[in-house]
Amino acid sequence: PADTPDAAQARARSAPAPVTDVAKLCVCDLLVAQCDINCCCDPDCSADDFSLFTTCSVPVVTGDSQLCSQKAAIYSLDVEANPPERIFKLIDQVNPSIFCIHATNYKEATYLKSPEIPTPENFDQLLDKFGGATFSAEPDLDLDTDAQNPPDANETYRYEYGVPVQTEDAFLRLPSPVVSSWCSDANPAGFLVNQATKCIRSVSVEKCDSIQALSMLFYINSSILAVNITVQSIVVQSQNGMRTSLNSSDVLRLPMVLDGLCINAVLGVNYHITHTDTGEIIEAAAAFVLGAISKEALSIEQSFEISFTQENTQPVPLSGNPGYVVGLPVRAGFRPQGYPFPAGFLFAPLALSSNKHSQLTILQSTSTQDCLAAQGARAPVLFGYNMISGCKLRITAAMKCQPLAQTLLDVLKGQSFPEYVASFGNSQAQDVLDWVPITQLHISEQIISNTLQSSCQIPVALGIEVKWTKYGSLVNPQARIVNVTATITTTTLKQLPSGRERIIPVTSSVVFTDISSPAEPSYKAWPTINIKLPFDFFYPFV
Amino acid sequence: NNSSQLSSLPLQILLYLNGIYYIFYFLATLAMIIYKSQVFSYPDDFLAPDLAVLFLMAILEVPRLYLGFKGNLTEAEAPLGLSLGLTVGSAVLCVYLLLWQTYVLWADTLLNAVLLSAYGLESGLKVMAIAAFVS
Repeated sequence: PADTPDAAQARARSAPAPVTDVAKLCVCDLLVAQCDINCCCDPDCSADDFSLFTTCSVPVVTGDSQLCSQKAAIYSLDVEANPPERIFKLIDQVNPSIFCIHATNYKEATYLKSPEIPTPENFDQLLDKFGGATFSAEPDLDLDTDAQNPPDANETYRYEYGVPVQTEDAFLRLPSPVVSSWCSDANPAGFLVNQATKCIRSVSVEKCDSIQALSMLFYINSSILAVNITVQSIVVQSQNGMRTSLNSSDVLRLPMVLDGLCINAVLGVNYHITHTDTGEIIEAAAAFVLGAISKEALSIEQSFEISFTQENTQPVPLSGNPGYVVGLPVRAGFRPQGYPFPAGFLFAPLALSSNKHSQLTILQSTSTQDCLAAQGARAPVLFGYNMISGCKLRITAAMKCQPLAQTLLDVLKGQSFPEYVASFGNSQAQDVLDWVPITQLHISEQIISNTLQSSCQIPVALGIEVKWTKYGSLVNPQARIVNVTATITTTTLKQLPSGRERIIPVTSSVVFTDISSPAEPSYKAWPTINIKLPFDFFYPFV
Repeated sequence: NNSSQLSSLPLQILLYLNGIYYIFYFLATLAMIIYKSQVFSYPDDFLAPDLAVLFLMAILEVPRLYLGFKGNLTEAEAPLGLSLGLTVGSAVLCVYLLLWQTYVLWADTLLNAVLLSAYGLESGLKVMAIAAFVS
């Protein structure tokens, strides 16, 4: 019969019919028109080929074993015969279970569903259903992935750590480099995840005002679910890198071409999100750095940062929660003047200032290695990292003792050596008992002999020993600082004859010692059996 | 053997046993439908009619048995006739569950066959009882 084009098209539209006859099914028949080795069900194999087989890779082909009675094709090799020949048997396999399927009135019960072939009519509907990255097994659910429902007045959204910050249409995006250094706008910002990213964006001065990522509007356009992103400050960076802060930050500055430069292009955005302690975002602000792009520039580097602050608190970076995390700076602070020493603990909260400037720091070795020219470079003490640093001091005859000693003390201890160190990584400044005082010791290197005159002691070494212990549960011990001792070692400075110089090394070190006592597991008390007979148990007899 | 008693004893026994057997049948069939819906692919369009038939049969069974008892004991042919009509309806539903359910397991076949034979026997006895009452 002649095939009309319509019939051919109709045939092409439907998937090929599934083969259900067990005698014709062959799973190991992979090569077309060729005999597959050890495939006893292959119709391309002749009797000569069968005589060369060693075993049957597919011994039995059955339908669904849940049916009460079904056909099964059994293939085996008769190795006794010479030459070996294949035996094919078609038997009825019976399922003895009482719950076997006797009959089924549902056509697709034991077969996989044939997928719909796309046609011009159902293409759009199929694309809607299956075009996304995921689709649900239940066809009735209408998954609306695009629009987020606007919040009710009374309903509040609570975030958890890492959950993407939702905006009206999608998520708050923080452009970041993915794989290469080019900016990708698809990185969602996670709640309480402070991030700072830098990436490169390709620009051209001609299309300056049409590139969305260069305009301020792109970053403040999306409102975080009833909280608008306000512009906190605008800093304009000039061509030579100098930054000036603008007074009026409510004027939206859009990029435009001026004198062959593209001005008001966004070079950096710094988001500050304020949240409550229950996980609601109440405020969002963005600080911009705008700059100019010259005609030759093909790409610019943009930097983005997002930080989360709890409302009514000062943003203090924690060094652990609660125990110190290895590698994070040791937090330290001062007790402000005027508080009486022990009573202040009870009556007034000790406002220990714990900003970056009063961290525990040690001298940082510089390339010049000259103590007096050190210029105050200091490195923060990181928990768990033993550090040693030093410099060389050139002593000439003209140097006076006392100012030298004071200078060296400044070099070793820094401008503001703290008095207290936080015991836990998250110690708050108000909790006085969570802070450990730094014990200061002085050791003199040389025993002062009978010469009492001109015994000038200059500090040459500062050793900070931090004793810490493991605190808390056995499976998740937290590091807790118990004792901090700063030992200054001084040595006698002997007067030099004029014209002579001496070089002495000055060192400072930090050592962390683990003084945790071995853990004591505690056991629950043995259960006691509490049986009490009622008092009239032996009634007739007592 | 009192010849003035027209009530049929076999029918009474059969109705009584039918009541007990039906409770077991209902619970077993419901459990098997739940089992089938978990193990096999059982779309909602096919599950709904099967469950509807099962529950309809349960609803019909109560008046059917009550009318049967009442008619037989009071030797009245009207309730017995009504019960016969309901028996025919229940038998049709039983045939549906035997042949046209989505999945008919071997246990299903067994239970339904027993029930159908009980219905058949009952119908015969009811006809004889009605004939006895009328004449």
